[in-house]
Amino acid sequence: MSLRQDVRYGLRIGRAEFIRSLRRYLGNPRRVFGLLITALVFGGALLFALPAAYVLGQTARSVTAIPFFAPAVTLATLGLFSTSVFRTLERLGHIDASEFVLLAVHPRAVVIGLITAEMGRLSLWFGIPVGAVVITFAFGLGAPLLVASGGVVALPLICCVAVWGHAAGIAVLRLLRQAPRLRRLLKPVGIFAMVGLVVASQLAGQLLVESDISARPLFSTFAFDPLVEYVGLTFVGTPVSQPISLAAVGVLAALIALIPIGLAVSTKQVSTLWFTDPVDENTSTQVRRSSGGFSVPRPFAWTKAGRIAWGILVRARRDPAELSHLLIVVFFIAPFGTLLVEFSADAIGPLIAGAGVVLAPYLSGATFGLNPLGDERPQLPLLLLIEAPAATLVRGRLLAGIAIGAPVALVGSLVSIGFGMTVPQASVTAAVGATMCLTAAMFAVGIGSAYPIYEERKFWGTETVVPSTLVMMVFLFVVGGGTVLGLFVTWFALTGNIVLTPVFNVFFGTYLLLTVGVSYGSYRYALRRHRRYTLA
Amino acid sequence: MPSIDNESAILATDLQKSYGSEVALDSLTLDIPHGTVYGFLGPNGAGKTTTMRLLTGLSDPDRGSVRVCGVEASDRRAIAGRVGYLPETPPLYDEFSAREQLEYVADLRDISRSDARERIDEYLDQFELADDADKRIDGYSKGMKQKTAFIQSVLHDPDVLYLDEPTSGLDPRAARTIRESITAFADAGTTVFLSTHILPVVEAVADEIGVLFDGRLVAEGTPTEVQARAETDETGSLEDAFLAVTSEPETGMMSQSE
Repeated sequence: MSLRQDVRYGLRIGRAEFIRSLRRYLGNPRRVFGLLITALVFGGALLFALPAAYVLGQTARSVTAIPFFAPAVTLATLGLFSTSVFRTLERLGHIDASEFVLLAVHPRAVVIGLITAEMGRLSLWFGIPVGAVVITFAFGLGAPLLVASGGVVALPLICCVAVWGHAAGIAVLRLLRQAPRLRRLLKPVGIFAMVGLVVASQLAGQLLVESDISARPLFSTFAFDPLVEYVGLTFVGTPVSQPISLAAVGVLAALIALIPIGLAVSTKQVSTLWFTDPVDENTSTQVRRSSGGFSVPRPFAWTKAGRIAWGILVRARRDPAELSHLLIVVFFIAPFGTLLVEFSADAIGPLIAGAGVVLAPYLSGATFGLNPLGDERPQLPLLLLIEAPAATLVRGRLLAGIAIGAPVALVGSLVSIGFGMTVPQASVTAAVGATMCLTAAMFAVGIGSAYPIYEERKFWGTETVVPSTLVMMVFLFVVGGGTVLGLFVTWFALTGNIVLTPVFNVFFGTYLLLTVGVSYGSYRYALRRHRRYTLA
Repeated sequence: MPSIDNESAILATDLQKSYGSEVALDSLTLDIPHGTVYGFLGPNGAGKTTTMRLLTGLSDPDRGSVRVCGVEASDRRAIAGRVGYLPETPPLYDEFSAREQLEYVADLRDISRSDARERIDEYLDQFELADDADKRIDGYSKGMKQKTAFIQSVLHDPDVLYLDEPTSGLDPRAARTIRESITAFADAGTTVFLSTHILPVVEAVADEIGVLFDGRLVAEGTPTEVQARAETDETGSLEDAFLAVTSEPETGMMSQSE
């Protein structure tokens, strides 16, 4: 079989994989709604980007005069390469129904198919906005042919980067398979790295705004001149074209030569990966044991709900990937990390206590409460037919969540004593935090029961059942907002800065009523849903 | 009609496979002639699926070799058209309809469009899927998925067909359709390697059986021979023989040569 034949099979596989993705996106009304919201949010940015691109095209006098052209080209290429590596780690490292595909065609065809499908998916996501900006810029420049020449120049670059990104991703997967301990370590490291990245991005932005540092020389250090000259070929035949350099031609030749080499490397790698069984301890035939039976420690052992809570905690401890949805909070909390740096030392104590109180209710509700029915989906036929009432099951879930969250509030308050908080202040803060844990957990089981999710999906590289994004967002905003409000009132009360005016009393009374009422109502709703639940 | 080579349909020599420190398969040797239905039995965890993966070339052995119709199993281009494989979990795409899935398979297997259409219609009729052929597979029952996957594995008329629990979870009518198909394929010269727990299916269709226990082949021969060598009484069934040979791990292999 020839390369041509593999390319033909690869394109067929790519088309089939792309169609499958498209049907997955469009087959679920919830996803379509999410896509529409995303399009609306990011589409709004085009309203500003398109006129800017047009003006930029009109005013451009040379390629070098286009602002940030050189670093943008280099960083975009690096970004594409990183995307290719990460997508390979996440998705392109295997093909669905591999038993059939790998017995029908050569692995090289499968590699071509997977990469083709991924390029199709990326085009679907980014093709329209990028295309719109490029077309507008081309019209501004008065050179509509720029769109075609841009496509011709981009194609070898994208193909080369995609193929080598895939090869690199597969190499990483092979390394991780050989070193399972490294893989287990990589997950927490990755999470910390991402938190660090989000915080660093906040700090960097702030630094650029507040200091006298100019962004242009900073970005220019990222420019790789031969690559920039190659991309400059896009402008051949336009008013801003520059002479074709030897470096640009050299890069083109290198890209064309590197594509088949990358494909060969990738094929060799996947053949080893796909046809060699994992060495991973977890996926081998080794069986993990748990001796001693289901022994529940006190105080969980005292009640049936406590024993259920302990069961939930043990399961989570043994399969922490089930809790990967908790990481969504990183995007909301990380930006506040800069506050810790900004605040002077005398405020760091209250900040630590406050951080604990904010995080604790989130964990109490979100850890086990946002998809109670979906989490138990395989066990529901058993749970719905046991003697324990629905209230016990729901309370078990509440307790499990509070067991995770409440200690965070307590530890935050304890640590804050070392940073200037008095013991009474820390005690009151901890008590407020613990109370909020209960209300958050009660609220979570209600909204989680209202919109259960049963199907597994890929989330942060793990195939697991995660709560609905909508439910997570509602929970984050309601509980986050409520907690911060309560925290401020607590702090002002502790520092003696509250004046009990009738207006304050009405507002605070309403806040308390809403917090307790909504939480209790949500809890009652969860009980009702559990009692009346029928299997689909 | 499958092509017939001089060499055996499946020739596995001294296969060994380990996962870490655990030996999943130990010195397995198989020599299965063309047109045979070979029933491959063994308790859970005996190494049957590992064997299937090695025999299809989907996994590499630590030691030993596999040849299918005279072709090394590791030569993926050469083996592609010769084997069909139905794993225990049907390898189907939920987003496709059965017809789309089968046309896609035909496309990847280079079956001409007209031939593919004819064969697909014929199989869909035979397996009573014609009325549901345009429904997406995610709405199929387990039996319908199994039947679609079975058609997918035989669409290119392979020389050797590997079936892993093909009738598991099927209703009696669907199970019978698959059983009859296995016999029909064997009559047409296809070699069928059938791994299953359902012993009556093996009794009904297998020409020869092999029993795998703890990664080793502990009995091989025709069903009658295995029953006889397991020293069950005259009224003993294949089930009795199976229980006898898989409860004595120290017993050496019982074969015709004994």
